[in-house]
Amino acid sequence: MIYDIVHLTRYTYNGPVVVNDCVLRLRPRSEPGQLVLAFRVEAQPTPRDWGEHSDAFANRVARMRIETPHREMSIKSISRVEIARAAPPLAALTPAWETVAAEAVDTQSLAPDSPAFALYPSRLVSLFPAAAAYARESFTDRRPIYEAAVELTKRIYKDFAFDSKATEVTTSPAQAFEARRGVCQDFAHVMIAGLRGLGLPALYVSGYIRTIPPPGKARLQGADASHAWVAVWCGPAYGWLGLDPTNAIPEGDDHIVVARGRDYADVPPVEGVVLSYGGHELDVEVDVIPVVGKT
Amino acid sequence: MPVTVRTSSASAKAEAQVAQWTAGYAPLPGIPDEFIGPDGTRRAHWTRLLTQLAADPAAVAERFAAADRRVRNRGMSYRVRGETAERVWPLSRLPLLIPAAEWRKIEQGVIQRAELIEKVLADVYGEGKLIAEGALPAAALTGTADFVAAMRGVKPPGGRWLRVYAADIGRGPDGDWWVLGDRAQAPSGSGYALENRLVVSQAFPDLYSQMNVERVAPFFRDLRAGMKSGGERSEPRICILTPGPYSETYFEHAYLARYLGFLLVEGSDLVVGEGRRVYLRTIAGLKRADVLWRQVDSEWIDPIELNSASKLGVPGLLDAMRAGGVEVENAPGAGFIESRAMLAFLPRLAKRLIGRELEMPNIATWWCGQPGARARVLDKFDNIAIASAFGDSARGLEKRRVAVGSELGEAERATLKAAIAARGLDYVGQEVVRLSTMPRWEDGMLVPRPFVLRVYVAATPEGWKVMPGGFARVSDKPDARAVSMGQGVESADVWVLADKPVVTSSLLPNPERTHIARLLGNLPSRAADNLFWFGRYLERCEATLRLVRALSSRALDPEAPVTGAKEAAEALKGLLVAWGAIDAKEKSPRPAETALREPDNYGSALSIANAANFAASVIRERLTQQTWALIGRLRSDLLALPEDALTDAQILDCIDEQLTTIAALSGLFDENFNRGAGWRFYELGRRIERGINTCRISRQFAHQKATESDLDVLLDLIDSQITYHSRTLIGVALAPVRDMALLDPYNPRSVAFQTRRIEEHIATLPVLRQDGIPEEPLRLATRLSAELDTEVADRLEDASVLGIENRLTQLAEAIARRYFLHGASARAEKIMSLG
Repeated sequence: MIYDIVHLTRYTYNGPVVVNDCVLRLRPRSEPGQLVLAFRVEAQPTPRDWGEHSDAFANRVARMRIETPHREMSIKSISRVEIARAAPPLAALTPAWETVAAEAVDTQSLAPDSPAFALYPSRLVSLFPAAAAYARESFTDRRPIYEAAVELTKRIYKDFAFDSKATEVTTSPAQAFEARRGVCQDFAHVMIAGLRGLGLPALYVSGYIRTIPPPGKARLQGADASHAWVAVWCGPAYGWLGLDPTNAIPEGDDHIVVARGRDYADVPPVEGVVLSYGGHELDVEVDVIPVVGKT
Repeated sequence: MPVTVRTSSASAKAEAQVAQWTAGYAPLPGIPDEFIGPDGTRRAHWTRLLTQLAADPAAVAERFAAADRRVRNRGMSYRVRGETAERVWPLSRLPLLIPAAEWRKIEQGVIQRAELIEKVLADVYGEGKLIAEGALPAAALTGTADFVAAMRGVKPPGGRWLRVYAADIGRGPDGDWWVLGDRAQAPSGSGYALENRLVVSQAFPDLYSQMNVERVAPFFRDLRAGMKSGGERSEPRICILTPGPYSETYFEHAYLARYLGFLLVEGSDLVVGEGRRVYLRTIAGLKRADVLWRQVDSEWIDPIELNSASKLGVPGLLDAMRAGGVEVENAPGAGFIESRAMLAFLPRLAKRLIGRELEMPNIATWWCGQPGARARVLDKFDNIAIASAFGDSARGLEKRRVAVGSELGEAERATLKAAIAARGLDYVGQEVVRLSTMPRWEDGMLVPRPFVLRVYVAATPEGWKVMPGGFARVSDKPDARAVSMGQGVESADVWVLADKPVVTSSLLPNPERTHIARLLGNLPSRAADNLFWFGRYLERCEATLRLVRALSSRALDPEAPVTGAKEAAEALKGLLVAWGAIDAKEKSPRPAETALREPDNYGSALSIANAANFAASVIRERLTQQTWALIGRLRSDLLALPEDALTDAQILDCIDEQLTTIAALSGLFDENFNRGAGWRFYELGRRIERGINTCRISRQFAHQKATESDLDVLLDLIDSQITYHSRTLIGVALAPVRDMALLDPYNPRSVAFQTRRIEEHIATLPVLRQDGIPEEPLRLATRLSAELDTEVADRLEDASVLGIENRLTQLAEAIARRYFLHGASARAEKIMSLG
């Protein structure tokens, strides 16, 4: 499957901005199952400085600095990505979750895919007993990890209501858990808190998902959005496997992975450090367009 | 012989005194004590100290009081996390004494440990053999944000990860010293140690020299040399990067900056620029910052690569480090070594990395992330101390930082055991530590109290150097497992006692290498900004006080001009409302009192005094203690007023006092402040504010229809009654009053006088380009000044006074654009020469 993705971010600042240091996590990852064929960013005003580096999780991060005084900034990224993921593993064959937890603590790696980075509470995901207890219901003794994790994904889908008014970016996983509602970010954070509470490595995945328009209707432009789900480490043989609690499905050919991190705070698509007074307004449009004729 | 008789009787008296002080002094059972040895005898060096103190017992109280006074006068303070007010530094009466022979062993142990930690850091962030070969579990590092994955593969420009390391040590049950914790992030306390030394040595000069105390100044000289060697240039600009005045140890940062001659900077002072080097924003453009002594935790130092919520850091700093454009001490990421989990591995790593056992062991520690260690800890649960492996708290440890199994209730035990079984990686077990004790002075008696000693090591071109002395924290309770600065804990000076008199040295450099510099480099933009605003607030405070005084005194004075008196009072209130000192909506029954001390009104004298205090606190290292104390009085005097409604007389007394304080401050700035750019900005702030205020007051009280009473108020407000009446005999009239307030270049209160000074000040400031074209602030100031020179009072329109006021406001904005943070950064790309 090949997608064209257009992601437009527009900031309107209440005061003049003199210096704008920005970090962009917009380039989809190139990794097994996912290949970036083309990628381009257009920024207004024109940045003076531009650089790209890999962060601790091997995400490609671009930075730029705008030094032209401005009150508006727009960043448009266009990517063409080819997705051809391997099928999920046979759940029953994956190792017992307790074994995975022990292997994670024993890991002798600090490489970007090391489970060691995904074990502890992070800036937005603190561990709370209720989440661990909730997860534990699926993680019965010696149960294969992927089997248990898929069940947890389905339970979150069933038990939690999708409600874009219930939470904000700053809502803690504990609050979302208490309310049993939220958006993809909240579901991902709750699931991560539950898994880490059991000593299992879990990461936050930010990216896009293709939306299928209702039968007979055309796809609405700009109607898509950034999406978030979870990656669970299933031992050295299986590595990181993606699970989407918002849709109760495994990461598949409708998902495009942009970045992985400990939680949302590690992977916002655009963040900036500005020298300015006052606040700003933000406007985001995302289009995920399947490229017809190529599969 | 009479002399002998006197001496022996004196010494008998001294002995009696010591006996009285130490009556009942007994070490706690099973715990080593500094004063009384394991065999029950008093240690000779302590006896010597006490006997010499006892020689003149009457003087002791006096000396203690002198030390207290010195602590207050020097403004020594610290902050407890979560509190905004600073606390006065609690300095213990008695120093901790350690004989030189024993100290040399401590030195060796601490240097060896610093060497080990340097090697661990270099491997973890470099080759990675310890992790790859299983000597150190990756998960034992990643539990703390102080492990910075982004630093892997970075070669610190100076080639080392540690510049300053500190070890918290205590005496174990066998009497030997043990390491309780490592400090490698940004070890605090060395500045306090230095301050403690200054205060104690000055309070007890004789004792200090008789006891042969080793000096700490050479350590700071070595530290400075070490920092200097880290820079690329031969005369590097060294900056202390502080989180700012709300930091717990800001006093120390400011103090060390002043003592070592480093610049105190905040993240917003710095910018990564040309060649991925780090530059300081100064009023003369961007200047290279070569070395940063980091007092900001790693996680916060670069919002681009690390925590993006940070306002304390420098965007792109890590990238600049990779490019070799700046030296950061200690390297970001060094702090993970502080976590308790590391104590479990350092002893084993010693054998591998330095081929020897540690000379000074650390308390035995087991990281419960490993199954064997976890089993052992759960097995010995009752007799082991459980603590968080990485932070201050973990599940089951919410109420206490350290728990010993046997001291927990059933429910707590079960919770903690289950938590360790579920997520052992969050916990360590440690052998139970009981700190050894030293004498603490309490109500004229000595009592044994637990203490922790922090020892500092610096990497210098001549190898590791240890500060002979350190920072001791003494608890106020007999049983303390952890001693951190907070309620009841005192800090003690630490005396390393040499066998023979000590050669004195200070930070004075070798005469061949000194050169005379009259001005101190380039003023950082933020300092200029704060000095400017300090000047403005001080002037605004004065203007507000004069307005309130005019209001109150008119209420009191039965002989005030009858015609228009009521109207004048209303006009004064109106101004105070416009000023933000009185709330327009609420009709305050006592407007003068409200304008004086209502904290919720941003224009009240109290609010302005607070703002002046804050502006000054940010540039504290540039102010003398006396200045700082006077600035503090501006607000403390207002806060000290009785809570009940104030009488007009009380208000007037208070205002007179406040005005005297401001006059004293003005005097200090005029007489003592170096005439560098800093003083110019303070002056600019005052002059601009005074010009604007005088315009506002003139518009209110010297408009075309002003009454005699109005003009009288104006003369009061601009403090020109005497001058006016000595010059003009006909009584108050509009034109001469206006001339005096606005145009008279000889009257230091007139607007024209202010604009001339402003023009002079700006003309002395550095320019960005050498093309001879005046910059915007100078252009505006020159034009305004020339216009006021040629204006005539009786032809002045009301509107033109407003015009002058607006142009002063524009001038202030132009100054901000050109010299302060925004201006400096906006112009970064236009600057011709960098460096």
